[in-house]
Amino acid sequence: MRRARQIKRDAKQLWRLSLVNGSLDENRARLVVERVIESRHTGKSAILSQFLRLVRLDRARHAAQVASAAPLDADTRAAVEEGLARRYGRAIATTFVVDPTLLAGMRLKVGSDVYDGSVKGGLAALEARF
Amino acid sequence: MSTLVQEIEARIADAKAVTARQNVGVIREVGDGVARVEGLSDVMLNEMLDLGHGITGLALSLEETDVGVIILGDDTRLEEGGEVRATGKLLQVPVGKGLLGRVVNTLGQPLDGKGPIASEVAYPVEKIAPGIMRRRPISQPVQTGIMAIDAMIPIGRGQRELIIGDRSTGKTTICIDTIISQSHLNSAAEAAGDKDYRPLYCIYVAIGQKQSTIARLISVLEEAGAMPYTVIVAAPAADSATSQYLAPFSGAAMGEWFMDNGMDALIVYDDLSKHAVAYRQVSLVLKRPSGREAYPGDVFYLHSRLLERAARVGEKYGNGSLTALPVIETQAGDVSAYIPTNVISITDGQIFLETDLFYQGTRPAISVGISVSRVGSAAQLKAMKQVAGRLKGDLAQFRELAAFAQFGSELDAATQAKIDRGKRIIELFNQPQYSPIPVDVQVALLWIVQNGYMDLIPVDRLKDYQARLTEYLTTSKADLLGKIAKEKTLSEALTTQLKAAADQFKQIWT
Repeated sequence: MRRARQIKRDAKQLWRLSLVNGSLDENRARLVVERVIESRHTGKSAILSQFLRLVRLDRARHAAQVASAAPLDADTRAAVEEGLARRYGRAIATTFVVDPTLLAGMRLKVGSDVYDGSVKGGLAALEARF
Repeated sequence: MSTLVQEIEARIADAKAVTARQNVGVIREVGDGVARVEGLSDVMLNEMLDLGHGITGLALSLEETDVGVIILGDDTRLEEGGEVRATGKLLQVPVGKGLLGRVVNTLGQPLDGKGPIASEVAYPVEKIAPGIMRRRPISQPVQTGIMAIDAMIPIGRGQRELIIGDRSTGKTTICIDTIISQSHLNSAAEAAGDKDYRPLYCIYVAIGQKQSTIARLISVLEEAGAMPYTVIVAAPAADSATSQYLAPFSGAAMGEWFMDNGMDALIVYDDLSKHAVAYRQVSLVLKRPSGREAYPGDVFYLHSRLLERAARVGEKYGNGSLTALPVIETQAGDVSAYIPTNVISITDGQIFLETDLFYQGTRPAISVGISVSRVGSAAQLKAMKQVAGRLKGDLAQFRELAAFAQFGSELDAATQAKIDRGKRIIELFNQPQYSPIPVDVQVALLWIVQNGYMDLIPVDRLKDYQARLTEYLTTSKADLLGKIAKEKTLSEALTTQLKAAADQFKQIWT
């Protein structure tokens, strides 16, 4: 228990070292990982996996996944990216995927926020209401 | 016509599809009734979560990177990577009169196969207890129908009275007797059309008990006709620790509805020792730091915030009350263990049941010396105070004298008389289970024993005497009992009538 807490604390410390102006700096993060691997710390693999988790969660907060039933044209893609940037006020790495199971419409996921405008989502909400 | 078509077309063109933002997370770990969920950045503490497959969860610990969720229901269908949605609602249960006569689980879902619960109102399970300004002093009695309690340890509406004792000493029986007594009083008042009588509705919360015990209890209540005034919240031993932990809070929410709507309710938490154990399990699985006896640090607050919800509120704030009877099971009579001391300090008194007394034949096995009611005497009927005012002291004195008399030394007449009177009072207080005594009969019996009418009756025949006297009073002197119940005080005229009745019965008794 105590060790797990110590690992979390150490990973958090490394995370803070990787920040520049409050946001993650990729070069610094790489450097931090190199330095930890070079060190003789006994619990370095556990600390690094916790650090990796923090990086993964941060990336997820800054990444958007747009799923649509059919491929989107360039204009729509640009409109979506612009809307996301306006809403979140930061650079959002957007990936577009095609998911035919949505039937129609679009589903956006940014971090833990979901905007579900798909027919599949609508049907699921309707089912839940019954 | 064409304008209408155009109008509708224009409206459709204007209408924008609004997609609401949802907060979601992903299950990373699941097991032991608890899940760890990543994401859910905007979740509230105690918010209900939709885990999919119709399973509900409750966000119980919010940490930096994940959320500890307790699962209410079957967790075997959940898997790693599953999506969890925040609902934006705190955990709620249905409340209202539609629950009366029903057996429900922690979430207020029916378990009795009598169809859906007729309720349109829901109350949050966790609620802040009424504050100082909303409360008012306790002044109305809860007639338990148990003579020893009504006479010596009176309970008032809005009070929290702990029932504590070892296993099988009659703790649950006291609660059931109280519920049955309320049903008798409620139905009698209904039949008589008494508008002034405030019915007392009962909620029985079974925590960690055997299913068979709960089934037996329901049949006892059904036989006694008490179910129409009772709600049973069952979280049996087979339920998950999470639902056992939440059950008393659900019950309290149901009781609060009565309190907020100008009615009185009584809630029995049977028992809080098992509740603390369930909470300990949930806390340990959530990896919260443990303290004494491995209970988490907030186990005191767990019970204090639950019991503080019992109150009597002022006219402006609902004009109702919620009386709580928490039950604690001790191990080998040890009241100084962690959970018993906590709950003793929170409640307004305790009824302590002793194994030795139980096996000596004293039933209910109440230890008079250490049982107290801190606020109930203000609610006791004046008539009862008149006949039972000094009873507790007298009985304590009797126990001391009886212990002294065991050495076989000769006693003076006054001491012997005290011992004889004490023996008779103790015998009078012996009461079979599920047979509450109306308060007017209690007053009459206590007046008769206090005035020496039973002194010449041999102790082994006293129960027979009591049964025949009660029958005589209820059949031939019903008007006298009615006057006692109505006037609620023993006036000189009533005392004369009681004396006449006792003298008359003396002639009949052989």
